Amino acid sequence: MKHPDDRRSATVQASAEVQDIRRRMLRRQRVNRALTYAVGTLIALWILVPIFFIGSMAFTTREAVRAYPKGVLPFIPFSTETMRFFLSSEGIMPGIINSVIVAIITLVLSTLIAAPAGYAISRYIFRGRDAFRLSILAVRAFPIVVLSIPLAVVFLRLDIFDSVYSLALMHTALTMPTTILVIGSVFASIPYELEEAAMVFGCTPVQAFRQVVLPLVLPGIAAAAIFTFVMSWNEVFAASILTVQNRTLPAQVLNTLDQSSEPYQFAGGFFMLIPALIFIFLIRRYLFNMWGQITK
Amino acid sequence: MKKRNWTPYLLILPSLIYLALFFAWPMTRGLVLAIWDEEASLSLHEQAQQNSPQTGRLPQGTQIGILDQQGNFIQPEELEEGNLLTEVWFLVSGEDIDGQAVTGWASESRIRVREEAADGTPVVGSVRTKLGSDADPLTDIYAESNETSDVVGKLEALTRVEIQDLVTLEVWYLIRGEEEGQTIEGWAQSRYIQVFSDETTGRIDRGNTGELTTKYIEKMVNDRFFAPALRTTLLLMVIIIPVQFVLAIIMALVIQARLKGNSIFLYIFAIPLGVADLAVGIVWYSIFTHFGFLNSILQGLGLIDAPLTYLSADTRYWIIVAVCLAEIWRATSIVMVIVVSGLQAISQEVLEAAEVFGATLWQRIRHVILPLLRPSLQVALILRTILALQVFAVVIALGGGTVVTVLANETYRQYGDFRNPNVAAAYAGLILLLSMVSAVIYLRTIRTQEEAAE
Repeated sequence: MKHPDDRRSATVQASAEVQDIRRRMLRRQRVNRALTYAVGTLIALWILVPIFFIGSMAFTTREAVRAYPKGVLPFIPFSTETMRFFLSSEGIMPGIINSVIVAIITLVLSTLIAAPAGYAISRYIFRGRDAFRLSILAVRAFPIVVLSIPLAVVFLRLDIFDSVYSLALMHTALTMPTTILVIGSVFASIPYELEEAAMVFGCTPVQAFRQVVLPLVLPGIAAAAIFTFVMSWNEVFAASILTVQNRTLPAQVLNTLDQSSEPYQFAGGFFMLIPALIFIFLIRRYLFNMWGQITK
Repeated sequence: MKKRNWTPYLLILPSLIYLALFFAWPMTRGLVLAIWDEEASLSLHEQAQQNSPQTGRLPQGTQIGILDQQGNFIQPEELEEGNLLTEVWFLVSGEDIDGQAVTGWASESRIRVREEAADGTPVVGSVRTKLGSDADPLTDIYAESNETSDVVGKLEALTRVEIQDLVTLEVWYLIRGEEEGQTIEGWAQSRYIQVFSDETTGRIDRGNTGELTTKYIEKMVNDRFFAPALRTTLLLMVIIIPVQFVLAIIMALVIQARLKGNSIFLYIFAIPLGVADLAVGIVWYSIFTHFGFLNSILQGLGLIDAPLTYLSADTRYWIIVAVCLAEIWRATSIVMVIVVSGLQAISQEVLEAAEVFGATLWQRIRHVILPLLRPSLQVALILRTILALQVFAVVIALGGGTVVTVLANETYRQYGDFRNPNVAAAYAGLILLLSMVSAVIYLRTIRTQEEAAE
């Protein structure tokens, strides 16, 4: 989209005909912009309205949830009743704790192992680099479903079945490829010249890395870590396969879904959605680092 | 001479090791489950010993006759295996009928333990009286802990013996069975054999020798949920993916227009990226359920008098519609992000040139944007297809998982509900195969188009 200012100098001496064209173009631009706003708003509503619906159900009374026709929040009583009901249901608090433990172990392991690899693929040109990147992509694209069954069988044999640690090991395998690529693209966005300059001014390579590069990449790495957390928090298939007693939150909700009441389901749905609302906001600047990378 | 720099290899080493350990290895191990029957047949031995030559194999489930039995050594860690029949032998010493001191082995069934040490080990016992009038009243003592070894002495009933040692043995059976008209006879461990109550017949409970099999794949294909699951999965893909791509390109163009408030749009458009699929399923359940929001809105507008039922066994198509909407809601964001990154790589000059030359929006999309976006769209298409093959929690949340079922759901049920990891692995293998085939097809078609264009 071009700005009208660019052409102002060129059109100072313009004839009436040209000015007419210009006016028409400006009008067309205004119409286009209004249209774009309208379309954007429509799509935004398409995304927000369902979230608003479920949010209304999560923070009202159980009576309002069962009522028909259903209302939305300003028109139905606000209450923490359904959410409290959900959180005090059996298995939910342990589920949340398990989910958080799994997600944190996954985040730490995945970031610790992925960061050096991400640095390597962005800073070094070495034989096998493309093969490595390609295999990372292949792992990323691999169906989770396919990995869960074999891992469950292997874990069962090794006697580390049904533990949050084995689930975290699997989640790490699932998230690491993405984390490597994202961290790689974050490093790639910091010019190597900065590191060189620091070394010219007398830093050792390690010092240059710690004092120049690290502060610049930390936000990006944090974004990658947050995304890792969200992926682990959301993952339900492997969690239901690999855990029986120590269920994570999504696995617990999934397994009690058909014998639970609507207030429980709706509050649970909204509760699982909250991290997405917060974390996507925190990492929105890095989204394109995250996914743009795979197309390059 | 150029020195090779090992630093990058050291840096990627941990991730490689991790992925090999927790990805490549279990993956190969697991997919083998689908085509390898670990307990297909039982190898029989000439003697009741692991290292004796094999006489043949009998498949699992064969009816057998039991001819003889004998104990043999067993490793202590093997004692935990199921269905073991064991016997204990004692090394005893006592006076034989001639008054000579003898030391030898006797089965536990022949010795009654009289005294035990503090930790429960037997120390002193006596020879049991043999029942039955025609039996030899003396008890044989053997050189080794089985009945085929030399007899070193005979003890009278009730002789006091010192128990010096004991050993636990697994019973081996001499069995005979028929396989394809041939009679095969040989020894096998009790853990593999189920003995019927007459104690002379039985069947092979499980084998110890694996072989390639198609029975799990056949079981999967013949399952009554297989065809509906495959059909629904493909149907969902065909409906969802085109809609998603159109919507994602529109979203990307809105973002690319760089309006005021762009970052708010971007945030809202990206929210579904982080939402759990189960949560999305529940969100759309709240809309489509009997007393849900859709009916509430329709009734509020006066379009219906009583709530309609959408998510029931009689209205399968409504469940599919709901699943499609939920998946489009959830997974369009990822396509949008990939398309936006692709758009950002297209130089603004090209787009402006097209606009200056009077191309309409549609012409610009058709002839400029789409061709330049092809690599991004290709990646997005592969990613979306693979993810669409795995759709799971949304379907369960909206349809309960039986009326409308998909491949991932069947994998889950085979593993979780029916305790059948082999068939589950077959399903997983099918999903993997479909993913790989579709990825190859996308890569091929797009490459041939490019080659044709050159």
